Amino acid sequence: MFNKSDNESVQNRNWNVLVYMTAVFVLFVILLFRLYSLQHTHYDENFQRSENNRLRRVELVAERGFIYDRNGEILVRNRPSYQIALQALNLPRKKADRDSIFNTLLHIVDKDGKRMFDSLSLDTAFQRTRWIKNRPIRILEDASPEQVSIIEEHSEKLPGVVTLIESRRAYPYGTLASHVLGYTSEISEEQLKLPEYENYSQGDRIGQKGLEQFYDQEFRGTNGVKVVEVNASGREISQVKGVDSKAPIPGLHLVSTIDLKLQKVAEEAIPDTARGALVAIDPRNGEILAMVSSPRLDPNIFSLKKRERNKGWAQVALDSLRPLTNRAISGTYPPASVFKLVTAGAGLEYGVLSEFKHYPKSCTGGFQYGARYQKCWGSHGNLNVVNAIRLSCDVFFYQAGLDIDMTRINEFGRRFGLGEKPLGVDIPGEKAGWLPDSVSFNQRNKRLGWRWARGLILNLSIGQGQIVTPLQQAVLVGSLATNKGVYRPHFMKELRDSEGNVVRKYEPEIVRSGKMKESTHRILMAAMDSVVNHPGGTGKRGRVPDIRVGAKTGSGEWKKGEKTHAWYAAVAPLDNPEIAVAVIMEAAGGGGAVSGPIARKVLMAYFGKEDKK
Amino acid sequence: MSSGRFLDKSLKVDWFFLFLTLCLMVCGVLLVYSATNNEKVVFYETFWFRQIIYFVCGSAIAAGIVFLRLDWLKRMVVPMYVAALILLVVVLFFAGDVVKGAGRWIDLGIFKLQPSEFAKIAYLLTISYWLSRHPVSLFKLKSFVVPMLLFIVPFALVLKQPDLSTALVFIAVTYVGFFFAGLTLTDMFLLASPLLSVLFSHSQTTMFQVLWGLLICAVVFSLVRRRLPKILTVLFLVVNIFAGYASSMAWNMLQPHQQKRVNTFLDPMSDPLGDGYQVLQSLTAIGSGGLKGKGFGHGTQTNLAFLPEEHTDFIFSVLGEQFGFMGCAVILVLYFLFLWRATSTCKLFSDPFITLITMGASTIFLFHILVNIAMTIGLMPVTGLPLPFLSYGGSFALTCMVLVGAILCMRFQGHRQ
Repeated sequence: MFNKSDNESVQNRNWNVLVYMTAVFVLFVILLFRLYSLQHTHYDENFQRSENNRLRRVELVAERGFIYDRNGEILVRNRPSYQIALQALNLPRKKADRDSIFNTLLHIVDKDGKRMFDSLSLDTAFQRTRWIKNRPIRILEDASPEQVSIIEEHSEKLPGVVTLIESRRAYPYGTLASHVLGYTSEISEEQLKLPEYENYSQGDRIGQKGLEQFYDQEFRGTNGVKVVEVNASGREISQVKGVDSKAPIPGLHLVSTIDLKLQKVAEEAIPDTARGALVAIDPRNGEILAMVSSPRLDPNIFSLKKRERNKGWAQVALDSLRPLTNRAISGTYPPASVFKLVTAGAGLEYGVLSEFKHYPKSCTGGFQYGARYQKCWGSHGNLNVVNAIRLSCDVFFYQAGLDIDMTRINEFGRRFGLGEKPLGVDIPGEKAGWLPDSVSFNQRNKRLGWRWARGLILNLSIGQGQIVTPLQQAVLVGSLATNKGVYRPHFMKELRDSEGNVVRKYEPEIVRSGKMKESTHRILMAAMDSVVNHPGGTGKRGRVPDIRVGAKTGSGEWKKGEKTHAWYAAVAPLDNPEIAVAVIMEAAGGGGAVSGPIARKVLMAYFGKEDKK
Repeated sequence: MSSGRFLDKSLKVDWFFLFLTLCLMVCGVLLVYSATNNEKVVFYETFWFRQIIYFVCGSAIAAGIVFLRLDWLKRMVVPMYVAALILLVVVLFFAGDVVKGAGRWIDLGIFKLQPSEFAKIAYLLTISYWLSRHPVSLFKLKSFVVPMLLFIVPFALVLKQPDLSTALVFIAVTYVGFFFAGLTLTDMFLLASPLLSVLFSHSQTTMFQVLWGLLICAVVFSLVRRRLPKILTVLFLVVNIFAGYASSMAWNMLQPHQQKRVNTFLDPMSDPLGDGYQVLQSLTAIGSGGLKGKGFGHGTQTNLAFLPEEHTDFIFSVLGEQFGFMGCAVILVLYFLFLWRATSTCKLFSDPFITLITMGASTIFLFHILVNIAMTIGLMPVTGLPLPFLSYGGSFALTCMVLVGAILCMRFQGHRQ
């Protein structure tokens, strides 16, 4: 069969096959040794482990970080919340046994004799245990301690029914600063699909809106894990040794720039029924001391049971006053007469106006431009720029606006934070403003067929037609007063870990140049001073004893026949500005009369003054 | 039929081999049944029934392969190889179905084709054909050029999928192929020595350093004895020493999180969140089976669905829990006999093509068996290699049956020549 040379190679080959099979034999013996050691030597512990049942991997949810005000008062903390749930792996496998658990649960009544579970949701939960094996399925959310103890009493009859402790958000001051703080809720299906929520999983509670959303990553911390052994009814016996467990790393605490005292005063000054907003900011570094948007909502509703949560949600979502909107950063309004500061500033900066310049046309109650007669709100006679601001005379600014031209005015406004670029505050939802000029006006109104006309300058120079947010308005007066640059407005002062060490500090950051000539600055300050402190000034209701407050009022027209939006933007003390406040009350009347006193209350509180009664 | 007749070399069909295959298939179906019988579905939708279907189809294909003549097989080499490469490229660029994060399938509607399975067979055929006509020798380095080219292309494509464990199958087949195409045992040791170097120097304990020292001595000894060309001698020494030092140097250069990832791969228990959890469950399941097992259908670990891949990759833990050490030993003996019969086939003929095909096919089986079982008992990292005949899965069941068909074919056709 084989020839001679073949014979040698065949022998060699057969030898190789033998080597091969020997190697296989050795390897198989190694496997058998290992099996023997597992199944005989270590049999007892392995058997015990499988008998005692079922290792379970428990995710230890990290404690969410708190939010403090600038003085260390807690604004947001956590509270324990009990969840009653089904643990699919520990439910009996026989249908009859499951049904008996179902019936026991159904007939459990609480103190008042009411049933704790309804059959429909209980049935759904039992259905779901067939698909979801590895994690508990909630049947009672946010249970009260009494409800928990009732379940524990029946635990003998209820294998597979477990009580879990979760931590939920609590907002001790209710509606206070609700728009700034935001709220938390379970992550939605849509959010799960987004790339920025990549490392989140279903059932996670995440921050929605406000600081809760913006600093969610920091608040979350890192979840830990432990492997535990549980007995047949799903109760934990012990932690498994030999496998690493990871302790959760609690989330970071956020020390915000909010001043609780100031915030409280501001909230009290604006009634909840009114629509309006208030922003108080430190112009020296951009720290926001208080921010109110009215009407408010109570973020606590989002931590409640599903049914109550849905009720509360329906209430706020369907409200025509739109309490969900944070008007202080998302509300867009005409800047109204507050914008005259910008017009005047641009005029002075470009040398078109000067301290003593008077226009030939004095204010007799209106201004004739071409075929149009633009009214003023009074007759103020012939004024210089300081007095024109003090009295908020429109006729002066009609003429000044035509002289200066919109591009220069807008350039000056953008220097101090107005315009189309949001300021970058660290809560989501900030809207941009708009300073129209001929190009952007035509572009935006193309569909309507409106064209730019020089006559529009009349309106724009007194602040009708631009769009600003209350935040921009506060930043505007603040940075005009400091003349040292526009700092990015922010709420985060520092982040601390659970031991109180500062992990990150907010570095103030200049986002707009915010500088003007010294002479311009002096004149504008004199004007803002006169608005409050000189006779006849429109902002005299905002006066604070012993403090030089500068301000500008505004009454924004937005709809014929309705009351105007009441603006009041103040900054104090003028010589060394520490706080800038912008208040808007929607459709409330004149700025000086309505919003002035509100801003005054905040300033009084800031400087620790009290009215004599 | 006496046992002598049963194993008669002149028989065209190895009935004992067929019987062993059948035994393994029956065991496989029973295990898949016991791992998945808690799901209440119509019988024709159950895993065990589908597994039977796969085996029946596979057997039909194997029966067909038996009648392929050797010269036809040799003529199919080039088209098969090219087709395998095309399929691998197609799945790489137009992967239809992404299962577990890696696109390894082409969805053909009724059937999901896994090109890497087809490539295993095509590659086995190709490398066997080439090596049967062109033996390799370390004294003639040119003889390695073509085999390495044949190897590197499908290997890289599979690695790119990424499917590391299947790519390793290609290495195993090539390695064993060289052994039966001219290399000596010493050569085989030298080829494997860099890998051993890396393994031994990975952990810097005294014992491993001594082991590594011994290894280097053995390498030097082998080199002296073999009198290889100078360039190869130097190469082997340099590569070994470099592998020893570089691996620890590279290790220290890694970032801590990268080290952790490697550690997790090598030691799954260090990551209880991911792979470690599976292995821990698997060890508990196997260990709790004891010597005699908990009995068929009484596995608490598996029936409680602790093992996510119980009917595919972790089928061996189902076996270990229910049938204990006895059951595992029986299966290992079955596998050993199976491999013995498979490798014995080549002893009947002098044709190196037959030798290479049978040894290569046996190696594919062996590699899967070793890697899978070692994984379930915590000796090796968790990889996705299934256990031949026992794991549930259509593509792999077909591959196994094709290989069985190939081994039978060698004997049947060899006798006809």
